[in-house]
Amino acid sequence: MIEIREIGRQFNTRDGGTFEALKDVSFSVKDKEFFSIIGPSGCGKTTLLKMVAGLVRPTSGQIVIDGSPVSGPGNDRAMVFQHFVLLPWADILTNVGFGLEMRGLSRRESREAARPFLDRVGLTGFAEHYPHELSGGMQQRVGLARALAVSPDILLMDEPFGALDAQTRQLMQEDLMRIWDVEQKTVIFVTHSMDEAAYLSDRVLVMDTHPGKVREVLDVPLPRPRDEAVRTTPVFNELTSHMWHELRGMIGDPTAPAPE
Amino acid sequence: MRNMTRQNRNRLLSVIGLLAGLVLWEVIGRLELSPAFPPFSAVLAAVVEVWSSPRFLEALKESLISIAIALPPSIVLGVAIGLLIGRYRRVEWALDPLINTFLSLPLVALIPVLFLIFGLGRGSILATIVIYTFFIVVVNTAAGVKTTDPEIVEMARSFGAGEAHVMNRVILPSALPLTFAGIRIATGRAIRAVIIAEQVIGLIGLGGLVQRLGGAFAVEQLYAVVLFVGLFGLVSMEAVAIAERKALPWIIAQEETEPAFQGA
Repeated sequence: MIEIREIGRQFNTRDGGTFEALKDVSFSVKDKEFFSIIGPSGCGKTTLLKMVAGLVRPTSGQIVIDGSPVSGPGNDRAMVFQHFVLLPWADILTNVGFGLEMRGLSRRESREAARPFLDRVGLTGFAEHYPHELSGGMQQRVGLARALAVSPDILLMDEPFGALDAQTRQLMQEDLMRIWDVEQKTVIFVTHSMDEAAYLSDRVLVMDTHPGKVREVLDVPLPRPRDEAVRTTPVFNELTSHMWHELRGMIGDPTAPAPE
Repeated sequence: MRNMTRQNRNRLLSVIGLLAGLVLWEVIGRLELSPAFPPFSAVLAAVVEVWSSPRFLEALKESLISIAIALPPSIVLGVAIGLLIGRYRRVEWALDPLINTFLSLPLVALIPVLFLIFGLGRGSILATIVIYTFFIVVVNTAAGVKTTDPEIVEMARSFGAGEAHVMNRVILPSALPLTFAGIRIATGRAIRAVIIAEQVIGLIGLGGLVQRLGGAFAVEQLYAVVLFVGLFGLVSMEAVAIAERKALPWIIAQEETEPAFQGA
Protein backbone atom coordinates (compact mmCIF):
# COMPACT_ATOMS: atom_id res chain seq x y z
CA MET A 1 0.00 0.00 0.00
CA ILE A 2 1.12 3.51 -0.77
CA GLU A 3 0.18 6.10 1.83
CA ILE A 4 0.44 9.80 1.08
CA ARG A 5 0.40 11.50 4.46
CA GLU A 6 -0.25 15.24 4.73
CA ILE A 7 2.11 16.15 1.95
CA GLY A 8 2.97 19.80 1.48
CA ARG A 9 5.39 21.44 -0.91
CA GLN A 10 6.47 25.06 -0.97
CA PHE A 11 8.73 26.84 -3.40
CA ASN A 12 10.60 30.05 -2.82
CA THR A 13 9.65 32.58 -5.43
CA ARG A 14 12.04 35.09 -6.96
CA ASP A 15 10.53 38.05 -5.14
CA GLY A 16 11.34 36.38 -1.81
CA GLY A 17 7.89 35.00 -1.08
CA THR A 18 6.79 31.39 -0.97
CA PHE A 19 4.50 29.57 -3.35
CA GLU A 20 2.43 26.72 -1.98
CA ALA A 21 2.25 24.01 -4.66
CA LEU A 22 0.74 21.24 -2.54
CA LYS A 23 -1.10 21.45 0.76
CA ASP A 24 -2.19 18.70 3.14
CA VAL A 25 -2.48 16.03 0.49
CA SER A 26 -3.47 12.69 2.00
CA PHE A 27 -4.73 9.56 0.29
CA SER A 28 -3.72 5.96 -0.13
CA VAL A 29 -3.40 3.57 -3.04
CA LYS A 30 -4.09 -0.14 -2.58
CA ASP A 31 -1.95 -2.94 -3.91
CA LYS A 32 -2.61 -3.77 -7.58
CA GLU A 33 -4.89 -0.79 -7.88
CA PHE A 34 -5.02 1.39 -10.99
CA PHE A 35 -5.15 4.85 -9.46
CA SER A 36 -5.35 8.02 -11.53
CA ILE A 37 -4.68 11.58 -10.51
CA ILE A 38 -6.45 14.24 -12.54
CA GLY A 39 -6.39 17.98 -12.15
CA PRO A 40 -5.86 21.25 -13.98
CA SER A 41 -2.36 22.29 -15.03
CA GLY A 42 -0.31 23.55 -12.13
CA CYS A 43 -2.17 21.56 -9.47
CA GLY A 44 1.05 19.73 -8.57
CA LYS A 45 0.04 16.28 -9.78
CA THR A 46 3.34 15.63 -11.51
CA THR A 47 5.25 16.92 -8.48
CA LEU A 48 3.24 14.52 -6.34
CA LEU A 49 4.13 11.62 -8.64
CA LYS A 50 7.81 12.56 -8.54
CA MET A 51 7.62 12.52 -4.76
CA VAL A 52 6.35 8.94 -4.87
CA ALA A 53 9.20 8.19 -7.29
CA GLY A 54 11.64 9.64 -4.76
CA LEU A 55 12.84 12.36 -7.14
CA VAL A 56 11.34 15.30 -5.26
CA ARG A 57 11.22 15.75 -1.50
CA PRO A 58 8.07 17.03 0.17
CA THR A 59 8.48 20.11 2.37
CA SER A 60 6.18 18.51 4.91
CA GLY A 61 4.48 15.16 5.35
CA GLN A 62 5.58 11.72 4.36
CA ILE A 63 5.07 9.04 1.74
CA VAL A 64 5.05 5.50 3.10
CA ILE A 65 5.18 2.40 0.92
CA ASP A 66 4.40 -0.91 2.64
CA GLY A 67 5.38 0.57 5.95
CA SER A 68 8.68 2.22 4.96
CA PRO A 69 8.99 5.93 4.25
CA VAL A 70 10.23 6.97 0.80
CA SER A 71 13.66 8.60 0.93
CA GLY A 72 14.67 8.26 -2.72
CA PRO A 73 14.19 6.16 -5.85
CA GLY A 74 13.81 2.45 -5.16
CA ASN A 75 13.71 -0.91 -6.88
CA ASP A 76 10.00 -1.27 -6.14
CA ARG A 77 9.05 1.66 -8.40
CA ALA A 78 9.56 2.58 -12.05
CA MET A 79 8.48 5.66 -13.93
CA VAL A 80 7.10 6.30 -17.41
CA PHE A 81 7.61 9.86 -18.66
CA GLN A 82 5.42 12.20 -20.67
CA HIS A 83 8.13 12.93 -23.23
CA PHE A 84 9.37 9.32 -23.35
CA VAL A 85 12.93 10.39 -22.37
CA LEU A 86 14.84 7.76 -24.33
CA LEU A 87 18.59 7.83 -24.90
CA PRO A 88 18.99 9.10 -28.48
CA TRP A 89 22.45 7.52 -28.77
CA ALA A 90 21.39 4.02 -27.77
CA ASP A 91 19.37 1.47 -29.73
CA ILE A 92 15.95 0.29 -28.55
CA LEU A 93 17.21 -2.82 -26.76
CA THR A 94 19.76 -0.82 -24.74
CA ASN A 95 17.04 1.71 -23.95
CA VAL A 96 14.69 -0.99 -22.64
CA GLY A 97 17.53 -2.47 -20.58
CA PHE A 98 18.67 0.92 -19.26
CA GLY A 99 16.85 0.63 -15.93
CA LEU A 100 18.42 -2.76 -15.31
CA GLU A 101 21.82 -1.34 -16.21
CA MET A 102 21.33 1.45 -13.66
CA ARG A 103 20.62 -1.25 -11.10
CA GLY A 104 23.97 -2.87 -11.64
CA LEU A 105 23.63 -5.30 -14.54
CA SER A 106 26.21 -5.18 -17.31
CA ARG A 107 25.20 -3.78 -20.70
CA ARG A 108 25.14 -7.27 -22.18
CA GLU A 109 23.06 -8.76 -19.36
CA SER A 110 20.56 -5.93 -19.37
CA ARG A 111 20.13 -6.13 -23.15
CA GLU A 112 19.52 -9.85 -22.88
CA ALA A 113 17.02 -9.41 -20.06
CA ALA A 114 15.25 -6.61 -21.98
CA ARG A 115 14.33 -8.74 -24.97
CA PRO A 116 11.10 -10.33 -23.63
CA PHE A 117 9.80 -6.87 -22.63
CA LEU A 118 10.29 -5.65 -26.17
CA ASP A 119 8.03 -8.49 -27.26
CA ARG A 120 5.49 -7.65 -24.60
CA VAL A 121 4.95 -4.11 -25.92
CA GLY A 122 4.83 -5.32 -29.52
CA LEU A 123 8.20 -4.03 -30.70
CA THR A 124 9.84 -7.36 -31.59
CA GLY A 125 12.16 -6.69 -34.48
CA PHE A 126 12.97 -3.11 -33.48
CA ALA A 127 15.76 -4.05 -31.06
CA GLU A 128 18.54 -2.53 -33.13
CA HIS A 129 16.70 0.59 -34.24
CA TYR A 130 17.31 4.02 -32.78
CA PRO A 131 14.61 6.07 -31.02
CA HIS A 132 14.46 8.75 -33.75
CA GLU A 133 13.44 6.05 -36.24
CA LEU A 134 10.28 5.32 -34.23
CA SER A 135 6.97 7.18 -34.04
CA GLY A 136 5.86 8.77 -30.77
CA GLY A 137 3.58 5.88 -29.90
CA MET A 138 6.36 3.38 -30.47
CA GLN A 139 8.78 5.48 -28.43
CA GLN A 140 6.39 5.44 -25.49
CA ARG A 141 6.11 1.66 -25.81
CA VAL A 142 9.87 1.63 -25.32
CA GLY A 143 9.39 3.84 -22.25
CA LEU A 144 6.81 1.40 -20.90
CA ALA A 145 8.98 -1.64 -21.65
CA ARG A 146 11.92 0.04 -19.88
CA ALA A 147 9.77 0.47 -16.76
CA LEU A 148 8.34 -3.07 -16.91
CA ALA A 149 11.82 -4.54 -17.39
CA VAL A 150 12.91 -3.69 -13.85
CA SER A 151 9.90 -5.67 -12.56
CA PRO A 152 8.56 -2.94 -10.29
CA ASP A 153 5.61 -3.44 -7.94
CA ILE A 154 4.54 0.11 -8.68
CA LEU A 155 4.34 1.85 -12.06
CA LEU A 156 4.37 5.64 -11.94
CA MET A 157 3.06 7.12 -15.15
CA ASP A 158 3.31 10.86 -15.76
CA GLU A 159 0.84 11.80 -18.51
CA PRO A 160 2.39 9.02 -20.60
CA PHE A 161 0.07 9.50 -23.55
CA GLY A 162 -0.20 13.29 -23.30
CA ALA A 163 2.25 13.89 -26.14
CA LEU A 164 0.49 11.53 -28.57
CA ASP A 165 -2.24 12.17 -31.12
CA ALA A 166 -5.80 11.11 -30.32
CA GLN A 167 -5.91 7.79 -32.21
CA THR A 168 -2.48 6.66 -31.01
CA ARG A 169 -3.50 7.65 -27.53
CA GLN A 170 -6.59 5.45 -27.59
CA LEU A 171 -4.62 2.50 -28.97
CA MET A 172 -2.03 2.93 -26.23
CA GLN A 173 -4.74 3.01 -23.55
CA GLU A 174 -6.15 -0.29 -24.79
CA ASP A 175 -2.70 -1.86 -24.90
CA LEU A 176 -1.90 -0.61 -21.42
CA MET A 177 -5.13 -2.17 -20.18
CA ARG A 178 -4.18 -5.50 -21.74
CA ILE A 179 -0.68 -5.39 -20.25
CA TRP A 180 -1.95 -4.32 -16.85
CA ASP A 181 -4.53 -7.14 -16.79
CA VAL A 182 -1.63 -9.58 -17.09
CA GLU A 183 0.99 -7.79 -14.99
CA GLN A 184 -1.22 -6.85 -12.03
CA LYS A 185 0.87 -3.98 -10.77
CA THR A 186 -0.05 -0.97 -8.70
CA VAL A 187 -0.28 1.99 -11.09
CA ILE A 188 -0.40 5.68 -10.28
CA PHE A 189 -1.37 7.43 -13.48
CA VAL A 190 -1.26 11.20 -13.85
CA THR A 191 -3.41 12.62 -16.61
CA HIS A 192 -5.43 15.65 -17.60
CA SER A 193 -7.85 13.59 -19.68
CA MET A 194 -11.08 12.67 -17.90
CA ASP A 195 -11.86 10.09 -20.55
CA GLU A 196 -8.53 8.38 -20.02
CA ALA A 197 -8.86 8.43 -16.23
CA ALA A 198 -12.34 6.88 -16.33
CA TYR A 199 -11.42 4.24 -18.90
CA LEU A 200 -8.27 3.02 -17.14
CA SER A 201 -8.77 3.46 -13.41
CA ASP A 202 -10.19 1.74 -10.37
CA ARG A 203 -10.25 5.07 -8.60
CA VAL A 204 -9.63 8.65 -9.67
CA LEU A 205 -8.28 11.41 -7.44
CA VAL A 206 -9.53 14.83 -8.54
CA MET A 207 -7.14 17.57 -7.45
CA ASP A 208 -7.85 21.16 -6.61
CA THR A 209 -5.42 23.88 -7.56
CA HIS A 210 -3.74 26.92 -5.89
CA PRO A 211 -2.67 25.23 -3.72
CA GLY A 212 -2.89 21.66 -5.00
CA LYS A 213 -5.01 19.54 -2.67
CA VAL A 214 -7.37 16.60 -2.70
CA ARG A 215 -10.84 17.54 -3.91
CA GLU A 216 -12.36 14.08 -4.02
CA VAL A 217 -11.59 10.46 -4.76
CA LEU A 218 -14.02 8.77 -7.17
CA ASP A 219 -14.69 5.07 -7.55
CA VAL A 220 -14.96 3.79 -11.11
CA PRO A 221 -17.63 1.08 -10.92
CA LEU A 222 -16.94 -0.35 -14.38
CA PRO A 223 -16.40 -4.10 -14.77
CA ARG A 224 -13.05 -5.52 -15.97
CA PRO A 225 -11.67 -6.45 -18.37
CA ARG A 226 -12.76 -3.31 -20.15
CA ASP A 227 -12.89 -2.64 -23.86
CA GLU A 228 -13.95 0.21 -26.09
CA ALA A 229 -17.61 -0.49 -25.36
CA VAL A 230 -17.40 0.91 -21.82
CA ARG A 231 -16.81 4.38 -23.24
CA THR A 232 -20.46 4.55 -24.32
CA THR A 233 -22.02 3.25 -21.08
CA PRO A 234 -24.10 5.57 -18.87
CA VAL A 235 -21.76 4.97 -15.90
CA PHE A 236 -18.78 6.11 -17.96
CA ASN A 237 -20.56 9.22 -19.18
CA GLU A 238 -21.85 10.08 -15.75
CA LEU A 239 -18.34 9.79 -14.36
CA THR A 240 -16.68 11.94 -16.99
CA SER A 241 -19.35 14.62 -16.80
CA HIS A 242 -19.01 14.64 -13.01
CA MET A 243 -15.24 15.14 -13.37
CA TRP A 244 -15.83 17.83 -15.96
CA HIS A 245 -18.18 19.60 -13.58
CA GLU A 246 -15.60 19.50 -10.78
CA LEU A 247 -12.73 20.64 -12.96
CA ARG A 248 -14.67 23.36 -14.71
CA GLY A 249 -15.46 24.88 -11.34
CA MET A 250 -11.72 25.09 -10.66
CA ILE A 251 -10.78 26.56 -13.99
CA GLY A 252 -13.63 29.00 -13.42
CA ASP A 253 -14.52 29.56 -17.06
CA PRO A 254 -18.20 29.00 -17.82
CA THR A 255 -17.57 29.29 -21.55
CA ALA A 256 -14.97 26.49 -21.56
CA PRO A 257 -15.59 23.84 -24.24
CA ALA A 258 -17.25 20.52 -23.45
CA PRO A 259 -15.22 17.52 -22.29
CA GLU A 260 -13.31 15.47 -24.83
CA MET B 1 20.35 10.40 -56.04
CA ARG B 2 19.88 14.05 -56.80
CA ASN B 3 21.81 14.78 -53.60
CA MET B 4 24.73 12.70 -54.80
CA THR B 5 24.85 14.62 -58.03
CA ARG B 6 24.81 17.91 -56.20
CA GLN B 7 27.61 16.67 -53.95
CA ASN B 8 29.66 15.67 -56.98
CA ARG B 9 29.05 19.05 -58.59
CA ASN B 10 30.21 20.79 -55.40
CA ARG B 11 33.35 18.62 -55.31
CA LEU B 12 34.04 19.50 -58.91
CA LEU B 13 33.79 23.20 -58.07
CA SER B 14 36.30 22.73 -55.23
CA VAL B 15 38.72 21.02 -57.59
CA ILE B 16 38.32 23.75 -60.20
CA GLY B 17 38.97 26.41 -57.56
CA LEU B 18 42.09 24.61 -56.41
CA LEU B 19 43.39 24.17 -59.96
CA ALA B 20 42.78 27.83 -60.76
CA GLY B 21 44.80 28.76 -57.68
CA LEU B 22 47.68 26.52 -58.75
CA VAL B 23 47.68 27.92 -62.29
CA LEU B 24 47.78 31.45 -60.88
CA TRP B 25 50.66 30.40 -58.63
CA GLU B 26 52.55 28.96 -61.62
CA VAL B 27 52.02 32.08 -63.72
CA ILE B 28 53.06 34.50 -60.98
CA GLY B 29 56.02 32.27 -60.10
CA ARG B 30 57.25 32.33 -63.68
CA LEU B 31 57.25 36.14 -63.63
CA GLU B 32 60.23 35.77 -61.26
CA LEU B 33 59.10 38.64 -59.08
CA SER B 34 60.96 37.36 -56.06
CA PRO B 35 63.12 34.37 -55.16
CA ALA B 36 60.68 33.81 -52.30
CA PHE B 37 57.98 32.98 -54.85
CA PRO B 38 59.04 30.05 -57.02
CA PRO B 39 56.59 28.62 -59.58
CA PHE B 40 54.41 25.71 -58.52
CA SER B 41 56.18 23.30 -60.89
CA ALA B 42 59.48 23.96 -59.10
CA VAL B 43 57.85 23.30 -55.72
CA LEU B 44 56.30 20.14 -57.12
CA ALA B 45 59.74 18.95 -58.20
CA ALA B 46 61.00 19.72 -54.70
CA VAL B 47 58.08 17.76 -53.24
CA VAL B 48 59.14 14.64 -55.11
CA GLU B 49 62.72 15.11 -53.96
CA VAL B 50 62.10 16.22 -50.35
CA TRP B 51 59.23 13.95 -49.32
CA SER B 52 61.35 10.87 -49.95
CA SER B 53 64.60 12.20 -48.53
CA PRO B 54 65.96 10.53 -45.36
CA ARG B 55 66.32 13.79 -43.47
CA PHE B 56 62.68 14.70 -44.15
CA LEU B 57 61.48 11.26 -43.04
CA GLU B 58 63.64 11.45 -39.92
CA ALA B 59 62.20 14.91 -39.12
CA LEU B 60 58.66 13.67 -39.74
CA LYS B 61 59.23 10.74 -37.39
CA GLU B 62 60.47 13.10 -34.65
CA SER B 63 57.43 15.36 -34.98
CA LEU B 64 55.00 12.46 -35.00
CA ILE B 65 56.59 10.99 -31.87
CA SER B 66 56.10 14.30 -30.05
CA ILE B 67 52.45 14.49 -31.09
CA ALA B 68 51.86 10.84 -30.22
CA ILE B 69 53.28 11.38 -26.74
CA ALA B 70 51.61 14.70 -25.94
CA LEU B 71 48.23 14.77 -27.71
CA PRO B 72 46.43 11.70 -26.29
CA PRO B 73 47.01 12.51 -22.62
CA SER B 74 46.17 16.16 -23.31
CA ILE B 75 42.84 15.07 -24.84
CA VAL B 76 42.04 12.59 -22.06
CA LEU B 77 42.82 15.11 -19.34
CA GLY B 78 40.94 17.82 -21.24
CA VAL B 79 37.82 15.66 -21.49
CA ALA B 80 38.01 14.75 -17.79
CA ILE B 81 38.39 18.37 -16.64
CA GLY B 82 35.75 19.48 -19.14
CA LEU B 83 33.27 16.96 -17.75
CA LEU B 84 33.90 18.21 -14.20
CA ILE B 85 33.58 21.87 -15.19
CA GLY B 86 30.39 21.21 -17.13
CA ARG B 87 28.83 19.11 -14.38
CA TYR B 88 29.84 20.88 -11.15
CA ARG B 89 29.23 24.57 -10.62
CA ARG B 90 31.98 24.91 -8.03
CA VAL B 91 34.60 23.44 -10.34
CA GLU B 92 33.35 25.77 -13.06
CA TRP B 93 33.70 28.82 -10.82
CA ALA B 94 37.16 27.72 -9.73
CA LEU B 95 38.62 26.92 -13.15
CA ASP B 96 36.67 28.88 -15.74
CA PRO B 97 38.62 32.17 -15.50
CA LEU B 98 41.92 30.30 -15.72
CA ILE B 99 40.89 28.25 -18.73
CA ASN B 100 39.47 31.25 -20.57
CA THR B 101 42.60 33.25 -19.92
CA PHE B 102 44.72 30.53 -21.49
CA LEU B 103 42.38 30.31 -24.44
CA SER B 104 42.71 33.99 -25.24
CA LEU B 105 46.45 34.30 -24.57
CA PRO B 106 48.80 34.52 -27.54
CA LEU B 107 50.35 31.13 -26.81
CA VAL B 108 53.39 31.84 -28.99
CA ALA B 109 54.45 34.34 -26.35
CA LEU B 110 54.50 31.59 -23.75
CA ILE B 111 56.78 29.25 -25.64
CA PRO B 112 60.03 30.90 -24.45
CA VAL B 113 58.76 30.48 -20.90
CA LEU B 114 58.17 26.78 -21.53
CA PHE B 115 61.73 26.43 -22.82
CA LEU B 116 62.94 28.18 -19.70
CA ILE B 117 61.14 25.61 -17.60
CA PHE B 118 61.62 22.41 -19.60
CA GLY B 119 64.93 23.11 -21.32
CA LEU B 120 65.94 22.91 -24.96
CA GLY B 121 64.56 19.45 -25.70
CA ARG B 122 61.51 17.32 -26.23
CA GLY B 123 59.98 18.30 -22.88
CA SER B 124 59.35 21.82 -24.13
CA ILE B 125 57.90 20.57 -27.41
CA LEU B 126 55.49 18.31 -25.51
CA ALA B 127 54.51 21.16 -23.20
CA THR B 128 53.81 23.39 -26.20
CA ILE B 129 51.53 20.77 -27.73
CA VAL B 130 49.68 20.45 -24.43
CA ILE B 131 49.01 24.18 -23.97
CA TYR B 132 47.86 24.40 -27.60
CA THR B 133 45.39 21.52 -27.27
CA PHE B 134 44.31 20.97 -23.67
CA PHE B 135 42.19 24.09 -23.14
CA ILE B 136 40.24 23.81 -26.39
CA VAL B 137 39.23 20.24 -25.47
CA VAL B 138 38.24 21.40 -21.98
CA VAL B 139 35.90 24.18 -23.12
CA ASN B 140 34.30 22.11 -25.85
CA THR B 141 33.65 19.19 -23.51
CA ALA B 142 32.26 21.51 -20.83
CA ALA B 143 29.95 23.10 -23.41
CA GLY B 144 28.90 19.61 -24.50
CA VAL B 145 27.98 18.68 -20.93
CA LYS B 146 25.67 21.70 -20.82
CA THR B 147 23.68 20.30 -23.73
CA THR B 148 22.61 17.32 -21.59
CA ASP B 149 18.83 16.98 -21.39
CA PRO B 150 17.98 17.31 -17.67
CA GLU B 151 15.01 15.00 -18.21
CA ILE B 152 17.38 12.15 -19.13
CA VAL B 153 19.35 12.76 -15.92
CA GLU B 154 16.10 12.64 -13.96
CA MET B 155 15.03 9.47 -15.77
CA ALA B 156 18.34 7.78 -14.92
CA ARG B 157 17.96 8.83 -11.29
CA SER B 158 14.43 7.44 -11.16
CA PHE B 159 15.92 4.06 -12.04
CA GLY B 160 18.37 4.40 -9.17
CA ALA B 161 21.42 5.68 -11.07
CA GLY B 162 24.24 7.01 -8.91
CA GLU B 163 26.51 9.86 -9.96
CA ALA B 164 28.99 7.49 -11.66
CA HIS B 165 26.26 6.00 -13.82
CA VAL B 166 24.87 9.44 -14.65
CA MET B 167 28.35 10.60 -15.70
CA ASN B 168 29.17 7.54 -17.81
CA ARG B 169 25.87 6.77 -19.41
CA VAL B 170 24.18 10.18 -19.67
CA ILE B 171 26.57 13.14 -19.38
CA LEU B 172 29.48 11.74 -21.40
CA PRO B 173 27.40 10.59 -24.40
CA SER B 174 25.53 13.91 -24.37
CA ALA B 175 28.83 15.80 -24.43
CA LEU B 176 30.44 13.68 -27.17
CA PRO B 177 29.43 15.67 -30.27
CA LEU B 178 31.02 18.89 -28.98
CA THR B 179 33.91 16.97 -27.42
CA PHE B 180 34.72 15.54 -30.83
CA ALA B 181 34.63 19.01 -32.34
CA GLY B 182 37.18 20.01 -29.69
CA ILE B 183 39.39 17.01 -30.47
CA ARG B 184 39.27 17.84 -34.17
CA ILE B 185 40.41 21.40 -33.54
CA ALA B 186 43.04 20.18 -31.07
CA THR B 187 44.48 17.81 -33.67
CA GLY B 188 45.05 20.67 -36.08
CA ARG B 189 46.54 22.80 -33.32
CA ALA B 190 48.87 19.98 -32.20
CA ILE B 191 50.48 19.93 -35.64
CA ARG B 192 50.94 23.69 -35.59
CA ALA B 193 52.31 23.54 -32.05
CA VAL B 194 54.93 20.91 -32.80
CA ILE B 195 56.24 22.89 -35.78
CA ILE B 196 56.42 26.14 -33.81
CA ALA B 197 58.20 24.53 -30.87
CA GLU B 198 60.66 22.64 -33.06
CA GLN B 199 61.50 25.83 -34.89
CA VAL B 200 62.75 27.29 -31.62
CA ILE B 201 65.20 24.43 -31.21
CA GLY B 202 65.94 24.36 -34.90
CA LEU B 203 67.49 20.90 -34.93
CA ILE B 204 64.79 18.28 -34.72
CA GLY B 205 61.48 17.55 -36.38
CA LEU B 206 59.69 19.19 -39.28
CA GLY B 207 59.88 22.53 -37.51
CA GLY B 208 63.63 22.20 -37.30
CA LEU B 209 63.78 21.28 -40.98
CA VAL B 210 61.66 24.30 -41.89
CA GLN B 211 63.99 26.48 -39.86
CA ARG B 212 67.12 25.13 -41.51
CA LEU B 213 65.70 25.29 -45.04
CA GLY B 214 64.56 28.86 -44.43
CA GLY B 215 68.00 29.79 -43.16
CA ALA B 216 69.57 28.30 -46.28
CA PHE B 217 67.08 30.11 -48.58
CA ALA B 218 66.05 26.72 -49.97
CA VAL B 219 62.66 28.15 -50.78
CA GLU B 220 61.31 25.32 -52.99
CA GLN B 221 62.20 22.70 -50.41
CA LEU B 222 60.76 24.85 -47.65
CA TYR B 223 57.45 25.06 -49.50
CA ALA B 224 57.52 21.30 -50.06
CA VAL B 225 57.69 20.76 -46.28
CA VAL B 226 55.05 23.40 -45.53
CA LEU B 227 52.78 21.83 -48.14
CA PHE B 228 53.21 18.49 -46.44
CA VAL B 229 52.36 19.93 -43.05
CA GLY B 230 49.22 21.55 -44.42
CA LEU B 231 48.04 18.37 -46.12
CA PHE B 232 48.92 16.32 -43.06
CA GLY B 233 46.79 18.59 -40.89
CA LEU B 234 43.86 18.27 -43.28
CA VAL B 235 44.12 14.49 -43.40
CA SER B 236 44.42 14.19 -39.60
CA MET B 237 41.36 16.33 -38.97
CA GLU B 238 39.41 14.38 -41.56
CA ALA B 239 40.45 11.16 -39.79
CA VAL B 240 39.01 12.52 -36.54
CA ALA B 241 35.83 13.47 -38.40
CA ILE B 242 35.52 9.93 -39.71
CA ALA B 243 36.03 8.49 -36.23
CA GLU B 244 33.37 10.94 -35.02
CA ARG B 245 30.83 9.73 -37.58
CA LYS B 246 31.59 6.14 -36.58
CA ALA B 247 31.19 6.91 -32.88
CA LEU B 248 28.07 9.08 -33.17
CA PRO B 249 25.86 7.43 -35.77
CA TRP B 250 22.68 8.83 -34.20
CA ILE B 251 23.71 12.44 -34.77
CA ILE B 252 24.00 12.14 -38.54
CA ALA B 253 20.94 9.90 -38.69
CA GLN B 254 18.87 12.40 -36.72
CA GLU B 255 19.79 15.16 -39.10
CA GLU B 256 18.97 13.17 -42.20
CA THR B 257 16.01 10.94 -41.50
CA GLU B 258 12.36 11.32 -40.80
CA PRO B 259 10.89 8.64 -38.54
CA ALA B 260 11.06 5.49 -40.67
CA PHE B 261 8.16 3.76 -38.99
CA GLN B 262 4.85 5.45 -38.47
CA GLY B 263 1.94 4.38 -36.33
CA ALA B 264 1.59 3.40 -32.68
